[in-house]
Amino acid sequence: MIVGARQGKLSGLRQLVAKAMARELTGFLVPGLDIAHAQGLDVEAAGVRLVASPRHASVLMVAGDISPALRNAAAIIYAQMARPRALLVLGAGGLSPLPSADVTSELSQPGLIDGIAQLRIAFAEGAFRPEVTDFDAPMLHVRVEYTCPMHPEVVQDEPGSCPKCGMTLEPREASANDVDSHPHETHDHHHESHDHQHEVHNHDHGSHSHHHEAHDHDDHESHSHQHEAEDHQAMDHSGMNHGDMDHGSMDHGDHGDHAFMSMIDVTKDLPRSSDGLPMDWIDVPFGPFFPGLPSGLLLTLTLDGDTVAGSSARTLTENVALPHHSALEPLSFVARLSNMEPLAPLAYRFLANQAMENAAGIEITTVTARGRVGALERERITSHLGWLALFGQQMGFGWLLRRAAALQLKFRHANEQAIMALKPDIESLIKRLRRTPLLKSRNAGIGRLVQDNALRGPVARAVGIDNDARSTDPVYTALGFKAISRDSGDSLARLQVRLDELRQSLALIDAAGTIELFEPANIGLATGAGEAFVETPRGAAHLRLTLEKGLVVTAQLETPSTHHLTLTDSLTKQQSLGDALLAVGSLDLSPWEIRQ
Amino acid sequence: MTTALILLLLAVGAYLVAVIEAWTVSGRWQLAAPITAGIALLGRESIVPRKLDRVFFEVAPVLLLISALLAATVLPLTPGLIITDLATGALFINAALVYVLVALLMAGWGPNGAYAMIGGWRFLGQLIAYAMLIVMPVTAVAMRAESLLTTQIVTSQADLWNILYQPLGFVLFFVAAMALAFLPPFDLTTATSELAGGVEAEYSGVRLAVFRLGRLVLVITLAATTVVFYLGGWQGPWLPPWAWSAIKILAVTALMLLAGRVLPRIREADLLNLCWKLGIPLALLNIFVVGLQVLVWP
Amino acid sequence: MLEQYGLLLGLIVGATGFVLSLYALARTTGKTRQEPGKDVPATGGQLSRDPVWVRYHARYYGYALLFLAFDMEMAFMYPWAVVYKQVGLVALLDMGVFLAILFLGLLYGWSQGVLRRQ
Repeated sequence: MIVGARQGKLSGLRQLVAKAMARELTGFLVPGLDIAHAQGLDVEAAGVRLVASPRHASVLMVAGDISPALRNAAAIIYAQMARPRALLVLGAGGLSPLPSADVTSELSQPGLIDGIAQLRIAFAEGAFRPEVTDFDAPMLHVRVEYTCPMHPEVVQDEPGSCPKCGMTLEPREASANDVDSHPHETHDHHHESHDHQHEVHNHDHGSHSHHHEAHDHDDHESHSHQHEAEDHQAMDHSGMNHGDMDHGSMDHGDHGDHAFMSMIDVTKDLPRSSDGLPMDWIDVPFGPFFPGLPSGLLLTLTLDGDTVAGSSARTLTENVALPHHSALEPLSFVARLSNMEPLAPLAYRFLANQAMENAAGIEITTVTARGRVGALERERITSHLGWLALFGQQMGFGWLLRRAAALQLKFRHANEQAIMALKPDIESLIKRLRRTPLLKSRNAGIGRLVQDNALRGPVARAVGIDNDARSTDPVYTALGFKAISRDSGDSLARLQVRLDELRQSLALIDAAGTIELFEPANIGLATGAGEAFVETPRGAAHLRLTLEKGLVVTAQLETPSTHHLTLTDSLTKQQSLGDALLAVGSLDLSPWEIRQ
Repeated sequence: MTTALILLLLAVGAYLVAVIEAWTVSGRWQLAAPITAGIALLGRESIVPRKLDRVFFEVAPVLLLISALLAATVLPLTPGLIITDLATGALFINAALVYVLVALLMAGWGPNGAYAMIGGWRFLGQLIAYAMLIVMPVTAVAMRAESLLTTQIVTSQADLWNILYQPLGFVLFFVAAMALAFLPPFDLTTATSELAGGVEAEYSGVRLAVFRLGRLVLVITLAATTVVFYLGGWQGPWLPPWAWSAIKILAVTALMLLAGRVLPRIREADLLNLCWKLGIPLALLNIFVVGLQVLVWP
Repeated sequence: MLEQYGLLLGLIVGATGFVLSLYALARTTGKTRQEPGKDVPATGGQLSRDPVWVRYHARYYGYALLFLAFDMEMAFMYPWAVVYKQVGLVALLDMGVFLAILFLGLLYGWSQGVLRRQ
């Protein structure tokens, strides 16, 4: 029995179709493939084909618990799926805007396989039902505002007339994102540009006045009128979007001036593209669940053709609350920090442990330290392999996606012997990557970064900044660690740095000789302040905390992805769409660790 | 009856293309998967986007299918098995395949969605790149055969297949054919990771099934075209003609589908650059060389 | 010869009929249910209701202009290719001149920066 069934009696053709659907399941994965691989799930091996568009999917698979903003996005995805559609939830409870899960299972590969088996039965029996109800959720509704064309600041929620000039208010759809977005630079700008839009709409009255009358009260039945209305809407809206122009130029004498305006006049204030042509720009969200971008990242690009004219990036994941003048048990603090980042949980666990040990003044043994090094380097390998899989997907390189994902799943819980046995596989992966034709030309020069001391991790090392928290760590230097760095600072350099780090991590695990997730040392009832730096796979993370009688009272965390998120604008400017997405992907952002 | 037989063979061919494509992606031979997936798609809802261009949205999948079918009608599978042996066969193939562009532009513009629109316009850029590389090698083939009749083109290769007679033309035509069928690495228009399905993304249910069927027929038609123009059609030593046709067509299909898995996607700017700065001079050289060859070796 | 084109027209009609019958078959399993938010184009989890029918800034217009010239040339080359062997060397020289002029045009465009992403 599935909630998203189609209406009808299950007989005849419908029964055949339901059986076919049960055998060929297509899935849309939320939050994304990178998270699924990090949790150890291999969806293709479980028998579900992953698709990129919700319309092609019959199952929405949610892997783990997700933040409220991501739940809203998942509800939108669910609403856009074609019925019969099912919801499979792994390892989480009720996900509020989404309907109740058709099948729940635990977050592991056997759990996934079990859940899929139950789903198949549910489809075969329940794809068609006599009575179905619509799926409704608040964020799916169009919020219609009424605004005056002459006075755009007049906005009402009901129809009526403008108090200033008496004109009938025109309906306008509000952007769906406005409801749950927190105040953000670009969104305020967005609202401003809506005002510009209406002024230019008026500006255009001159040349297209008769059309304005025609579409004023239409209810979108007339196709051609609708076209023009949309055309105006789109042209003005997008053209005005990135106002480098001032308010002043908009007010002059075109209010009520219905004289002829040539194309040059109409387009004179539109922003120009890099080749001098004024074309129309559109805002496109590359939403939280976009294949090829880190899941949870909302990248809104303003596209001029297929070139990026502007961008804004933010994360829709939850901002994990750290104690601020409140007391928290050390173990739950460690758990909170480690669950924050599903892509690198161990690194943050060690960060919390080391900070607490530093604050309590406890020394750890060399054996423990080496065990931690081994585990951290293993996590670095799995994280880089996960990034390589995403990178392969972005480039459309199917072999890399599958191979890197397969290796990542093998490395997740491997012990030292298994890791050494997998070493030749890593070597052959690197060798094949170096031999792939067109890879270098595809990546050279993309996403070039300049020297900036706030950069961290492989991104920094690819520019030549020797920023590595491991260089100052005595345990690492005893194992013979030396930071890798390259010069060019583009996407190719970042790829090469990560490949070199794969080799280096293997050598470090070999030298350390042990991989152990030791429990944190008992800090008893210590009091004090401490800090720790840990080189997570994405860069150095910095944690400062204060202990009071064995409880954590304040903590401040700095993560590498927080600063890297601000780089997206400069990286994507004037790049073609594919290059822009590749540049953002090469930063290896983890939206889960971005602190807001 | 020839028509019915060839259409049946096309359907079987499309099915085999789907099986081979699934194999190149997952490494497993799933023989029932295309049929089951097709039946499953029949039973899913077909969502029509809002504020769309209805005509374009509906016509696009059908036009893709029809254009591929029309191109297949002039291809001979065995000496007598051809739907219409047009006197301008080789030209007609090109004319029919141009409608693939029209279909994809319609599919891009119709749904009024950003990803689809960008996918559609990118395909136009791809067409500007590959179109000359389809037409020029075909001209060289027609020079050798002294005719545009596809049957004549096959029989003209009786002593030496065109792949050996004009290898440069074969390479250019093969690459251009992959670009026409928007197979990876030329899949700018339906890129999973850049456009989340692009042109295909807004189709669901039975319309998606027709779109996919059209694409499969397009792939097999292009493979058959390559075989007719360059690999000697039905000719071969011991096996009967239909067997040779089948083997060659399936081999070319497998090659087309495999080639994309080992290369990253080629950018539109790179493709245009490569085709116009390298491809067209080479194609012109090919015509010139074949012209000399035809005069020197009768 | 005309019946060949008649056959092709029949094939077009037949293919359209086949597709329509598939649509009818799919329709017997039920209508598409109209639900809120379902028909908005899918953009990875955000509802993007803005229309996208705008003037698309294609960056390949330089290539497109040259393409027109070459396409016209190819239209002339088809009949030339058919009679080429008969006419002999003269045909090669004639077309060679034509192609050389066009090729010079291509080189000129290349040198002027036409053949790049604008």
